[in-house]
Amino acid sequence: MIIRWVCEKCSKKWIYPIEKCVYCKGNITKQKGTKIKVVGITKVTIQSPMHPIVPYNILLLQDEFSNRLPKKTMKDYKIGDVYAEQKAKTKDAVSVVKTKYDVYEAIKESVDILNGIKLSSDDKILIKPSIITAAYPYQAVNTNPDFLNALLTVLFELGVKKENVIVAEQALIGSDTVDAASKSGILEICKKNGVEFADISKGPFEGVESDEFKFRIFKEALNRKVINVPIMKTNFQLGISGAMENLSRLADEKTQREMYFDSIDVTLPQLAKLLPDVFTIADATNGMQGQGPLALGEPAFLNLILASRSPANLDAVFCEVTMLKAPSYIKEIKNIELVGNEIDALKYPIKQPVSDATPHSDIKVIDGKACPACLNLMNNLTAKLVGLRGEQLNLVIGSMLTEDMFEGKERLVALGECAIKKLGESKIKPIAKIDENIDDVEQLMLLKKLLVTEGTPKITPVDKVKSKMKKLLSKVIG
Amino acid sequence: MYIKGVGMTKFGIQEAATSHLVYEATLEALNDADMFMSNIDAIVVSSIEIMSNGERQKHSGSVISSLFHIKAPILSIPAGCAGGGTILWTANRLQKTSNYRNILVIGFEKMISNTSKKLTDEILMGGERIYEQSEGLIFPAQNALVAQQYMLKYGATTDDFALVAYKNHQNAFLNPKARFYKKEVTLKQIKNSPVVASPLRLFDCSLSVNGAAAAILTNDRTDIEIAGSSLFVDRLSTFESEDMTTWDATRLAAEEAYKQAGISPADIDIAEIHDAFTPVELISYEDLGFCKKGEGKEMIRKGITNIDGKMPVNTSGGLKAKGHPISATGVSQIYEIVKQMRNECGERQIEKPEYGLALNIGGVGSTATVHILKNLN
Repeated sequence: MIIRWVCEKCSKKWIYPIEKCVYCKGNITKQKGTKIKVVGITKVTIQSPMHPIVPYNILLLQDEFSNRLPKKTMKDYKIGDVYAEQKAKTKDAVSVVKTKYDVYEAIKESVDILNGIKLSSDDKILIKPSIITAAYPYQAVNTNPDFLNALLTVLFELGVKKENVIVAEQALIGSDTVDAASKSGILEICKKNGVEFADISKGPFEGVESDEFKFRIFKEALNRKVINVPIMKTNFQLGISGAMENLSRLADEKTQREMYFDSIDVTLPQLAKLLPDVFTIADATNGMQGQGPLALGEPAFLNLILASRSPANLDAVFCEVTMLKAPSYIKEIKNIELVGNEIDALKYPIKQPVSDATPHSDIKVIDGKACPACLNLMNNLTAKLVGLRGEQLNLVIGSMLTEDMFEGKERLVALGECAIKKLGESKIKPIAKIDENIDDVEQLMLLKKLLVTEGTPKITPVDKVKSKMKKLLSKVIG
Repeated sequence: MYIKGVGMTKFGIQEAATSHLVYEATLEALNDADMFMSNIDAIVVSSIEIMSNGERQKHSGSVISSLFHIKAPILSIPAGCAGGGTILWTANRLQKTSNYRNILVIGFEKMISNTSKKLTDEILMGGERIYEQSEGLIFPAQNALVAQQYMLKYGATTDDFALVAYKNHQNAFLNPKARFYKKEVTLKQIKNSPVVASPLRLFDCSLSVNGAAAAILTNDRTDIEIAGSSLFVDRLSTFESEDMTTWDATRLAAEEAYKQAGISPADIDIAEIHDAFTPVELISYEDLGFCKKGEGKEMIRKGITNIDGKMPVNTSGGLKAKGHPISATGVSQIYEIVKQMRNECGERQIEKPEYGLALNIGGVGSTATVHILKNLN
């Protein structure tokens, strides 16, 4: 579809969405061209960072209103060919649509080429956005409120009743859900649209079993049609936080911890099996790259919306498009039907998460599936020492630690209760332990000493006094 | 308004810092004008401040102030590839509405000091971010789509484009400031060069280079008068235009400049035209009124725009073979015309021109400046 914003009075056209004509103040309507022909083609043979696969073709498309648009494709066309989007033939197909300047139209298109969501006006719906911590929309940590707003508009147009919709989420363990929903802008969108926001952490939950793993799932999720609305992000631990990971927060806190302890790659598909009627529509307009939301990740302008009835397939396509390492639950991409855009025409590498990296180049991490609290602690401490060179340290976090993770690793420092306990039970002896519950200045002092001093330095009484003085001073001078 | 002095660096892959390129071009302009920096009342500069060159230097105006120890109004105006023409237009207007007697304009760019992929990506940022950048519509591809429409509509061929490249390379061969000075390029090489974005080949594309160019505009009568100066900005993307083979910004800028100068296209004796891609030169012949629409190909086929033709175009070698350091280009066009008018072009000197025209374009017909210089000697 080619869209133009046209003034009803003077007929001037814009390629950008506007609300009023700046010449006659006339109202604006969308002109949507659907009868599209190829009127020009160029084959590009040189690479650029956003377009690494060559050669590729760019079609000049023209609709019935003579509006034109370029379109990248790996397929060959001839001038005069009709250009039409193909609709999905298989149930678990994935649609990938470019957002352009109109999220609402892109959501509609991505759903349409999957042959619709298939909802009736009596359906009760649970929308599950991704709100993991208190962050503004521009930080690309949580589902964008504009995205949710557009999705709600589409659903209401399909006949869904407001009173039958709830938006439900719980923030990461240790974060307040309502605070996070408020800062993310999601709460405001719920209010604006007259839909309820539910804090999943408050339950109730229902016990269900899948492949011998016992889940306690938010009851509403089992009784409603779930529309899964993640924001697509890299993840330090999983590689990707996408459609599958977003479902994990439909489980209670205890289940979530157990899912990680029992290998998240295995438990996520088990959870997905319990929710067979999930439709995922993922926000990748402004996703995240690098180390992920809790580890200094950064926004990545991707301009995409992905949708599918299979969250695993959707994650697979996202990993392929962004060239991220795929989690083990992802099946081969060649078996997935893709509509809307071609993978090779979209592909370009975003910044990958590095599993043993910390903000400090001389400090590595051995991650035993640590909880967000220890991940945050690790990031905060190491970030404060950037610029200070020293002998390489390996911070050990989390409890899912196996002996092979320590092969060839020296100068181990256990950080947090779980790692201290786990290493205490094993033969592996760290050179130091940093308790998550001690004073944060002391934690930093100890890590600094470990970095710049050979051997096994400890916090002395003098350090403790210094730490207290520093705290006091920072309080006095603000 | 008049031009007192001009200067430019060689366009190439020199490793000098950007500030030194600016210094070099300015010193030549000051020497040419027989002036000192203390005679300058205001400065207008243009650069797109390329990030990939590693200098990480923004805030050009203050850099210029430090470089020349000058406390004066310094305007910094980036306008993509039309930056040079835009600062000439600005300075010209500024001079007419102020008491600044001498205004220095400097266009500069250091483009070559990183991988070509990074540079391609950075230049791509001049295209529309959603419709063009994310669709891989790098500038050669944008111009390729225009070229294809032009070929379909008017029957131009890739051989016509090759003739433009060949002519401009022959001219650059004679220009010591050109990247391709004394570097021979044959028509066969041009026609056999690899396809970059069909139908455009490598030799249809201009050269990214480092360089700076400067000019001093003055209220005092000199040998060169700025008889016409116009600037028009049109849509960002060519696909928005009803007719992709006519660029309204060029057409409107030309009309206004001719009107200001009180002349017609037939009075132009020499032109420097923004040949960022070879088809652009042909389209520009038409938009500037040198011939009717669709007849641009005839001008190149008949050799009218060759250095020994009736109306030589791009005697400097143009962007194609002299080089295209983005914001320096528009000022370097003025340099060439001034030098031709003063009979200082050595091997590539044409018969003394009375009127010269410079067309500087930003984007794919998005911004156009037309300057008409009159030789008063």
